[in-house]
Amino acid sequence: MLIVDECRLLWPDFEARYSLRAETGALVAIVGPSGGGKTTLLSMIAGFETPLSGRMSFAGRDLLPLAPAERPVAMMFQDNNLFPHLNAAQNVGLGIRPSLRLDEAERARVAEALAAVDLDGYGARRPGELSGGQRQRVALARALVSKKPLLLLDEPFGALDPGLRREMIAIVDDLRRARGITVLITIHTPEDVLDRAASLAFVAQGRVLVQDAPRRALDPARDPAIAAFVGHAVPAGT
Amino acid sequence: MRNAYPLALAALFGAALLPAPPAAAQERPTLTVYTYSSFVGRYGPGEAIAERFEASCGCDLEWVTADDAGSLLGRLRLEGESTTADVVLGHDMNLAGEARDLGLFAPHGVETGELDMPVAWDDETFLPYDWGYLAFVYDTTRLDSPPESLEALFTDAAGPSVVLQDPRTSAPGFGLLLWSSAVFGEGMADAWEALTPRVVTFTTGWSEAYGLFLEGEADMVLSYSTSPAYHRAVEDETRYEAARFAEGHYLHVEIAGMTTTTDVPDLARDFLAFMLEEDFQSLIPEGNWMYPANLPSSGLPESFEGLIEPGEAFLFDAERVSAERRALIDTWLEATTR
Amino acid sequence: MTRLAGVRAPHPGALVALALAGLAALAFGALLEAAQGRAATLALDAYLRRVLVFSLTQAALSTVLSLVLGAALALALARRRFVGRDLVLAALGAAAVMPAIVVVFSVVAVWGRSGWIASAMDALGLASRPDPFGWPGILLAHVFLNASFAARIFLDALARAPAEHWRLAAILGFSPRATFAHLDWPILRSELPGLAGLVFLLCFTSFAIVLTLGGGPGKATLEVAIFSALRVELDFARAAMLAGLQLAICLSLTLLLHWAVTKAPVAPTERLPAARPDAADPRLRILDGMVLAIAGALIAPLLLATLEGVLALPRILDADLADAAATSLVVALVSAGLACAMAIALAGAAQAAQARRRTRLAAAYDVLPALVLAVPPFALTAGLFLALRGHVSPAQAGFLLLPLVNAIGALPFAYRFLAPALATSAERHGRVCALLGLTGWRRLVVVDWPMARRPLAGAFAVAAALSFGDFGIVALFGGGELRTLPYLLYERLGSYRLDEAAAIGLLLVAAAFALSALATRMADADRR
Repeated sequence: MLIVDECRLLWPDFEARYSLRAETGALVAIVGPSGGGKTTLLSMIAGFETPLSGRMSFAGRDLLPLAPAERPVAMMFQDNNLFPHLNAAQNVGLGIRPSLRLDEAERARVAEALAAVDLDGYGARRPGELSGGQRQRVALARALVSKKPLLLLDEPFGALDPGLRREMIAIVDDLRRARGITVLITIHTPEDVLDRAASLAFVAQGRVLVQDAPRRALDPARDPAIAAFVGHAVPAGT
Repeated sequence: MRNAYPLALAALFGAALLPAPPAAAQERPTLTVYTYSSFVGRYGPGEAIAERFEASCGCDLEWVTADDAGSLLGRLRLEGESTTADVVLGHDMNLAGEARDLGLFAPHGVETGELDMPVAWDDETFLPYDWGYLAFVYDTTRLDSPPESLEALFTDAAGPSVVLQDPRTSAPGFGLLLWSSAVFGEGMADAWEALTPRVVTFTTGWSEAYGLFLEGEADMVLSYSTSPAYHRAVEDETRYEAARFAEGHYLHVEIAGMTTTTDVPDLARDFLAFMLEEDFQSLIPEGNWMYPANLPSSGLPESFEGLIEPGEAFLFDAERVSAERRALIDTWLEATTR
Repeated sequence: MTRLAGVRAPHPGALVALALAGLAALAFGALLEAAQGRAATLALDAYLRRVLVFSLTQAALSTVLSLVLGAALALALARRRFVGRDLVLAALGAAAVMPAIVVVFSVVAVWGRSGWIASAMDALGLASRPDPFGWPGILLAHVFLNASFAARIFLDALARAPAEHWRLAAILGFSPRATFAHLDWPILRSELPGLAGLVFLLCFTSFAIVLTLGGGPGKATLEVAIFSALRVELDFARAAMLAGLQLAICLSLTLLLHWAVTKAPVAPTERLPAARPDAADPRLRILDGMVLAIAGALIAPLLLATLEGVLALPRILDADLADAAATSLVVALVSAGLACAMAIALAGAAQAAQARRRTRLAAAYDVLPALVLAVPPFALTAGLFLALRGHVSPAQAGFLLLPLVNAIGALPFAYRFLAPALATSAERHGRVCALLGLTGWRRLVVVDWPMARRPLAGAFAVAAALSFGDFGIVALFGGGELRTLPYLLYERLGSYRLDEAAAIGLLLVAAAFALSALATRMADADRR
């Protein structure tokens, strides 16, 4: 289980205080208005931001003293997940060994991971020759080969069309089930994960205002911020 | 209004848009004289010369400068017939042939009388205004016994180190080539080959070489026999001397001429005549640090006392210099890069 | 859009390129015409061949050393934050544009037979003396100038890596070696062809430094022969032929370089502050310390040597100096503005061509700014003057040509600052702009400006500083109203006033330092 407990961050113009839980192997959606602190929350879990106070652990292990590379964390962004001068297989290989000196077995793992995201035979392509969805699947394959049990996805499919987006979320969800990974995903379109997420955390003004079952968490009556957000994001009738 | 550049730039762009103004009726004619920069700089005689000439000529004297004698002629060559120069002052005798070939210089028509120079003067195009001997200057506190001849300097393998000027870019540098040709004749190439190991470097111009010498990079520098006078007069410093060489020294003669295109030929001729008069010549010794071509009645200043007096003065005529320039430079290149 | 499909107005950059090529052609044509059909005496004799071989070797060696040191320095500066880092950056900017004559005297003051090093050796009782003349002096001076410039350009480029990449590097636990291979090297490599071409050309055509510090005519460049053909032999045909030869060599080498080193694709990015994970590596700490120490030992003394001029400062402060400074300033501002405008137009044209997949055309735009360096400024000025002489008076021609030729000389420097930023902007916003029909001036203001503002400050500073310290064409057209600071420097040097010349040299370096510091500060203000 991932436990974030009263972790406090401070900037001259922004203060955040996060508490969050995620059961091992669960998918937790993080939703909220832009600038509310969703990305900051993930950055903190990954180790790019150090809280002034509070605790954070995963599977009973304290994360705070660990450097990003030592944390059990893989991460994926909306853009720039791939290095443009490396081909798809090399980009995936970085998840095993950044020196890219891979042995036979490791190369097989790369191929297997590419196959798992339906990119069999795309290993030699460079990012420039791949579509947006394909690029994100390469990044996903890299997260898989790194064997990190906690996957942080920061608006990973925001740039894709709705059909492709749902397809990608399905791939992530299938991999989560098959491999028991814990997934935190920030997303602008919560309707895509309502049936898949174990819980939904609503983040605004640097706080997790609500964490609950997805449909309950988005009840407009719970907070004016949620009402404002739902009014925009979830079409009537959902 | 000396700093006219910003205004001139604005005016130029303005002029492109407006019809050209009618030429202002000029009450005083302007005499435009091209020269090199240090002649009219803060320490040059140019400003005072202009004042003195303007006092009598009823005209304005305008100096236009290029960096050195080479630039001066380069600019003239570029401007050709469209040049605004009425008089060009400052190239040396060794460029006279090339200058004459431009076809831009008119006979000066000035009666010179007897000049105070080591050689007779009968050139109809150019007049000399000052001169000096090429000489190697050294620091007496660092070099006790300088070579006594050009031959000793060139051939004594244990001799002093020297900093010289590249004869392709510098007037004194080329002068040394002529000097060595006069002294060594056929043996010139061998002499240069013997000297080369002791040449610290060949610089673009006189200024760089003299600067390097003052910084202590070499024992001797190719300059003029009059250079020590500067240090005595301005810095009260007596440690710098020129070495007197037994064979004699090559002459550096600075000359001026009027252009064929001038629209004030009489004024130009007047200026050339003025150039050899007392008012001009008395400014030369401690303004340009050379010997005046026509000694003023007051004689030479104190700082010039005790300067070396060479036995013989070499000066090739302009045509010979022009004709031999390439061959001399090729010989030099071959000898120094062998 | 009322414009007919398929017919597009020429890009302003295309016009600039045409204008530059036209100016060069005009200059060559005018020189040849002025030669009045006199056959050029261009026997490629043994000496000229030797000079060519020397020039190529010297320029290649200078380029490699400058780029290696420049890259190492940029990486060290990217990894380290320390007190006075801004000063170091400003010093690099000042070193990069130091006038050749000042560099020569600095090298001699430090490494000469009576220089600082020699005095130190004396004090230590050592008999041997350093001798900067020959290879050491040439390489030292070229590396001093160009490593400083390369470091600035590389450092700017390194800051363009996407923040996401740095985060991935941290998460994936990149070793310093992997960080270099996957993050730094691709960026450095994308700058290499352009920068190497520029540095090579600068060294290949370097004149005063090679001649004075070379120690003998065996170590010279073609530029010397061109100079003497124009100013002593007054043989314009020969000048034009030699300049043509130089241009041809530079052109082929530049093209070879572009062909051999392909440009890596640029990752579009949001530039968030991202910490470099390799900054903590103890071995890199030692390496960076060594690089900074070596670069400091090479660069700092040569800059500090100019301080010797401080003694004569009181003596040069007069109306002459104020006039010359004002003139220099106006010329510098006009040239810098012109150079930056040309650089923006050319970079825009290169991007537009790239967007249409016309990579060869794009490469040609990219090569052009450096290539204009191969046209000797003296020949260019002379040619342009000849072309103009029927239309304006010589004095007016000087006014026009000085900022123009200085701007052309500064163009490649400005371009190296600006082009990468505009390329990034194009990759990021190119499609959006195309969709919105946002082109030309409006696109520049709305889209490119925010990306380019930062490097523009650097480009403007370097162009202004270069022009401020440029002596080249003032040699021909100086004097009268056109007295600049470098002109004054030579004037004093010609009047035995070495100390006053040194003081003016110090002023030039100080001005470059101030400009560079200002640009650095503006850049940092944007970085938040």
